[in-house]
Amino acid sequence: MAGSLVSPSLGEARAFAGNLAALAPPVLLLALWEVVSLSHLFPEQVLVPPAEVFRTLFAMTQSGELQRHVGDSLHRLSVGFILGAAAGLAFGVTIALSRLAEAAFVPLFLTLWQVPVIALVPLLVMFLGIGEPFKVAIVAIASFFPVALAAFDAVRGVPRAWFEVGRVYRLSLADTVWRIVVPATVPAVVTGLRIGLTRAWVVLVASELLAADSGIGQMMEMGRQLFQIDVVLSGVIVSGLVGFAIDRGARAIEQHATRWRAA
Amino acid sequence: MSIDPSLRLPAETPNTPVRGELAIANLSKSFRIGGQLRPVLEGINLTLRPGEFVSIVGASGCGKSTLLRLIVGLDDDYQGEIRLDGERVATTSLDRGIVFQDHRLFPWMTLEQNIELALRNTNVPKARRAQIVAEHIALVGLEGFEKAYPHQLSGGMAQRGAIARALVTEPKLLLLDEPLGALDALTRVNVQTELQRIWMAQRSTMLMVTHDVEEALYLGDRVIVMSPNPGRIRRIVDVDLPHPRDRRSPLLHRLKDEILAELTAAPVEPGGVSDNLVRLPAREAR
Ligand SMILES: Nc1ncnc2c1ncn2[C@@H]1O[C@H](COP(=O)(O)OP(=O)(O)OP(=O)(O)O)[C@@H](O)[C@H]1O
Ligand SMILES: [Mg+2]
Repeated sequence: MAGSLVSPSLGEARAFAGNLAALAPPVLLLALWEVVSLSHLFPEQVLVPPAEVFRTLFAMTQSGELQRHVGDSLHRLSVGFILGAAAGLAFGVTIALSRLAEAAFVPLFLTLWQVPVIALVPLLVMFLGIGEPFKVAIVAIASFFPVALAAFDAVRGVPRAWFEVGRVYRLSLADTVWRIVVPATVPAVVTGLRIGLTRAWVVLVASELLAADSGIGQMMEMGRQLFQIDVVLSGVIVSGLVGFAIDRGARAIEQHATRWRAA
Repeated sequence: MSIDPSLRLPAETPNTPVRGELAIANLSKSFRIGGQLRPVLEGINLTLRPGEFVSIVGASGCGKSTLLRLIVGLDDDYQGEIRLDGERVATTSLDRGIVFQDHRLFPWMTLEQNIELALRNTNVPKARRAQIVAEHIALVGLEGFEKAYPHQLSGGMAQRGAIARALVTEPKLLLLDEPLGALDALTRVNVQTELQRIWMAQRSTMLMVTHDVEEALYLGDRVIVMSPNPGRIRRIVDVDLPHPRDRRSPLLHRLKDEILAELTAAPVEPGGVSDNLVRLPAREAR
């Protein structure tokens, strides 16, 4: 009885302490940044003080410029991710189910997987230009590989024992797929989707730095060319926060999809 | 029993009154391991009367699980005959149920959903399914856990859930592969008692593999002792005691000693198997 009274408040205290602890490193980082900029170790145009950067962020938000760049990037991310993830799912399931498809495609797949996606930027720009198709394509490619691999492993990993239960109860093919294969593979596939999405975000921002006319990466690149380091640093902060939010959101979905698992 | 008899599925062969007579004749099975054909079961002959409870004991690897997989129809690569009520076994059927050693409840479904899944391909009307599921959950004493996921059940509860799932289709023949193997001694005794009660109520034919000779004797009308390499029936022991049984019965203890002696004895010469069939107490072959 006493235990049940004490443990929730203890748990809450621990969670609160955890939240507090998670705040400490960013605050320390800001403080360090402030101290270094105050020390004038670097010229103020290079290492812009934090307050200046936050002023710029605020101004860009007021003018709607920031939202436009982030919106453009997120739009590319969603279109490219839907295409790449769908293709990755289809491909992964196919090579998992067919030994022939596996033998035919897996060596090429594994070889291409070793190529950093960013290395494809020059090639893609030559074929697709620097417009939307190029950025959607780079996101699709970045999402395709982790999702395909996760789907392959997940489908291959469904224990035979579970198919046997389906056979004993004479389940139809549709029931076997929807009630056994899909739920059994969901956890691994959702993890693959999350990894694909966060990878794709990183790759997208990087390729916008290289070739784009809008987007969070392009905003940073423009800032660099105009020597507006406050804009560059704003981009760093925003792309980090967006990536963090994407990861957190995807993890929440992942947890919801696998809530039947033992804690 | 709480199950309404009118819920029974209509027998698929209405002109054969026999329900759940299993006849195995000259059954042999080999596995190919590294290019070599290795016999796992050889010359198995066995008939189970409808409603009989038969236990199988034997050394690890003597082919007990293989035998059950053949009977349930998960493997149709065998020589000889397996017939249930005269019909040759070729694939799985809702007439033949099985409880695996690992409960094999799907972790993403609640207990209720797991049991209901077994009814999906039956002709039980959809409207009645929830009620039948509830009755079977009650039958194995899991009321209140309908919405629990398998990881929220103890090992013994999950195993009882698996038994409920296997019973819900009312198979003529229920196979149990070490269903209580993972349980601690106390839970095990409780589930044994429960299993005996369920069987007495249901009266379908049951064939149970176990490593526990006491359990085999407590539940079985007969106990089959198998010998390994390749797996054969070494001896069939009749347990001439009415159910429900008293665990302290001297007959059970005497038979236990005999079977344990048999299990630890030197292997029987090939070919001498059928001559060595000793029935205790002596009773005619069925
Ligand atoms: N799929 C398989 N492929 C090849 N050999 C197999 C296969 N399944 C079983 N065997 C072999 O068949 C023999 C009998 O296995 P089985 O699982 O039936 O034994 P068992 O009597 O159930 O043992 P235990 O009491 O340990 O469960 C073993 O020697 C095993 O190596
Ligand atoms: Mg076994």
